[in-house]
Amino acid sequence: MPRDRAVEAEGLERVFKGGIRAVDGVDLAVDAGEVFGFLGPNGAGKSTTVRMLATLLRPTGGRARVAGHDLVGDPSAVRRSIGVALQDAAIDPYMTGRELLHLQAVLHGFDRAHGRARAVELLERVDLVAAADRRVGTYSGGMRRRLDLALALVHEPEVLFLDEPTTGLDPISRLTLWDEVRRLNTELGTTVFLTTQYLEEADQLAGRVAIIDGGRIVAEGTPAALKAEVGDPTLRITLADPAAHEAGARALAAFGEALPPERSGALAVRLPGGAQSLPGVVRALDEAGVVAAELDLAMPSLDDVFVARTGRRLEAADGAGEPAAAPAPA
Amino acid sequence: MSHVLAVSRGLAWRSLILVRRMPSVFLPSLIMPLFILIATAGAFRGISQLPAFEGASYLAFTIPLATVMGAGFAGINAGMTLARDIEGGFVDRLVASPAPRITLVLGPLLAAAARSLFTTTVVLAAGLIGGVGLPGITGTLVIYLLAVGFSAATACWSMGVAFRARTIQAAPLMQVVVFLSVFTSVAYAPREVLTGWLRHVADINPVTYLIEASRAAELGTLGWAELWPGLLATAGLVAGLGAWALAGLAGLGKR
Amino acid sequence: MRPAVTQTAALARRSVVGTLRTPQALVPSLFFPLVLMAIFTGSFGNAPGTIPGFPEVRGFLDFALAGAVLQGILIGGTSAGAAFALDIEGGFFDRLVASPVARTAILVGRLAGGVVIAMAQTLFFVAVGVAFGARIEGGLAGLAVLLVLAAFLSVAVSGLGVVLALRTGSAEAVQGTFPLFFALLFFSSAFFPRETMTGWFKAVADVNPISYLVEAMRDQIVTGVEPRSTLIGLAVVIGMAAAALGGSFLAFRSRLRSAL
Repeated sequence: MPRDRAVEAEGLERVFKGGIRAVDGVDLAVDAGEVFGFLGPNGAGKSTTVRMLATLLRPTGGRARVAGHDLVGDPSAVRRSIGVALQDAAIDPYMTGRELLHLQAVLHGFDRAHGRARAVELLERVDLVAAADRRVGTYSGGMRRRLDLALALVHEPEVLFLDEPTTGLDPISRLTLWDEVRRLNTELGTTVFLTTQYLEEADQLAGRVAIIDGGRIVAEGTPAALKAEVGDPTLRITLADPAAHEAGARALAAFGEALPPERSGALAVRLPGGAQSLPGVVRALDEAGVVAAELDLAMPSLDDVFVARTGRRLEAADGAGEPAAAPAPA
Repeated sequence: MSHVLAVSRGLAWRSLILVRRMPSVFLPSLIMPLFILIATAGAFRGISQLPAFEGASYLAFTIPLATVMGAGFAGINAGMTLARDIEGGFVDRLVASPAPRITLVLGPLLAAAARSLFTTTVVLAAGLIGGVGLPGITGTLVIYLLAVGFSAATACWSMGVAFRARTIQAAPLMQVVVFLSVFTSVAYAPREVLTGWLRHVADINPVTYLIEASRAAELGTLGWAELWPGLLATAGLVAGLGAWALAGLAGLGKR
Repeated sequence: MRPAVTQTAALARRSVVGTLRTPQALVPSLFFPLVLMAIFTGSFGNAPGTIPGFPEVRGFLDFALAGAVLQGILIGGTSAGAAFALDIEGGFFDRLVASPVARTAILVGRLAGGVVIAMAQTLFFVAVGVAFGARIEGGLAGLAVLLVLAAFLSVAVSGLGVVLALRTGSAEAVQGTFPLFFALLFFSSAFFPRETMTGWFKAVADVNPISYLVEAMRDQIVTGVEPRSTLIGLAVVIGMAAAALGGSFLAFRSRLRSAL
């Protein structure tokens, strides 16, 4: 088995008492150094899969290797190689951030002096130096998650499991945490196995994603490839002068199939070339003397992928498209 | 006025219904007075051999402690229910409605009184099973009256705390003060037996006089000399703590 | 072996720090036993020497001290069990299980932390008792025996809490055992001598192990180290602690059986 696979699962399965197949034959291959997004609605089997890969739950079938160690054969080697930040940050409110990091270091076999040094290093990494000696009970939600992340990093794990790291966070704390995850992936080369219900999160962070539903993987690939499978991006153009409608439609005909516009004075076209065709479109409009007030390129979303595979929406609250607005030509 | 009564009765009914539908809340308030009766009478029976007890059965001696504690639990429960209602927004809804505000105090008060009648009955029945007869009509009525009075006093205390703290986290404060008020009186022995600090505290503790009156009624030694200090102490407690609760109610709109 | 010891010590330290920093858990275990001891002493101060059958004792405070020590450990031990349940509820337990920490350290660390608190509590109660005029007839040896009894009782009580925590994962369920201990305490000779009890109540107190434990503790204070009662008390409390410890290891194993 190649050593550069961080996580590899074949037919991983977990049947609970009462015959509920929470995870029903999952195959996964995560390369070392990758950020892997594991998407699915609540109850799809995400957390059960992560708990198995983190040695917290015994699989009832299949095989898996984590950081090169067989999950069932050598769980203690797996534990030495992984860091885990599970849902609901497990943090004592009455301890300070520094104390918790130090405790975690000692538990991982650091001597006291090294533990202290490691705590300082990690506090700097997650930007909690100023709050280091405050009790965790006074931390904001975002600070807790950052501390939780730091706790999972104490022993420099090869693979980091993050289970819904930003659930319940405000948008700014979410962005900060995303930056943190990106940094530790690029700077330390840590493989990140990230579960999330947020499409945007997977899109932002993950090089590849897998979507799980009903205990089975229903889609896997890079976000772009998955979206491309579903269909082409749509370009919507709002015209500065509604009378230029005819000329605009002629100019766009070469780029893709025309779609019924949503309102008068607007144009819509399917754009298989995606963002790469945009300069051509702008030039063609310019040559035809058509002035666009607004250009709007709507990419298919991971939600569309989920709908295509399961017939249901992944996240009801999320919008259908993710606009990639381009500036209108002058 | 009849409106006030109707709403109060409605609220009292609601809290009694909640009691019936949430047995985990209700059972302890039934079991605790019985536990106090049995454990106290069993463990400390020996103390009644002191001459000051004049040969009274220690079980009979303990019955007033149990009825008063049962009433205290009923009162505390009124405060805890109110605190939960404040946290849960039920009180806001009521304050925003045309229901008279005073009903927020009167409703739980009625419920506490009703529950104290019930726990008192249970304690007296347990006494009967243990061989202690009822002390006649007047005596029994006095025991009920003082229990209802104590439930009203402790309900007012606990509601006053609830109005100020506005959280169920304040429940231990309600409980500790009620327990201490009972156990620093004549809970386990008559006053002449008490020694040291407890004797001094019991002398000035109004609950002492309440329990002494109830105990005289239970033991059949009730005279006017025992009754009036008990009634006065109870009336004083209800009046003082009622003012404390009403002041808390008045502060409700001014956060 | 070495890392397991360091890890146990680190986790024990955490649980001690946790207890010291949560006054709502610490205060009741100190406050209630002392208040009750003061009230009993004030109520029953005349009992020794006048009630037939009451054991010979300098004063009721000396008699009541052991009951306070015992009650404090029952409250504190229940909190230790509940804290373990909170670790499971909150996910700290999972974090430990997913790390290379020795399995026994997770369990023993929590119980050891409870023992440290129980012994400190015992010293505190004795100090308060002595300050108000009680005398430890057993001297330092008696105090040492008292501490040993306290330590084992703490393991027994928090061990039972740990069993429930592992089986239910709920702190509320663990706190729910407290009334049981409270009943055991009152239906024993913790607050009043068995010699003065009668009927079925005496029969219950006679078979209640708490009676023998508290009497062993009391003898260290009232009469000095008495081999017979001390040995009986030790046997009772070691039996309780062994049962609780065995139960918690079994519950721990079965909880981890679903993990790797």
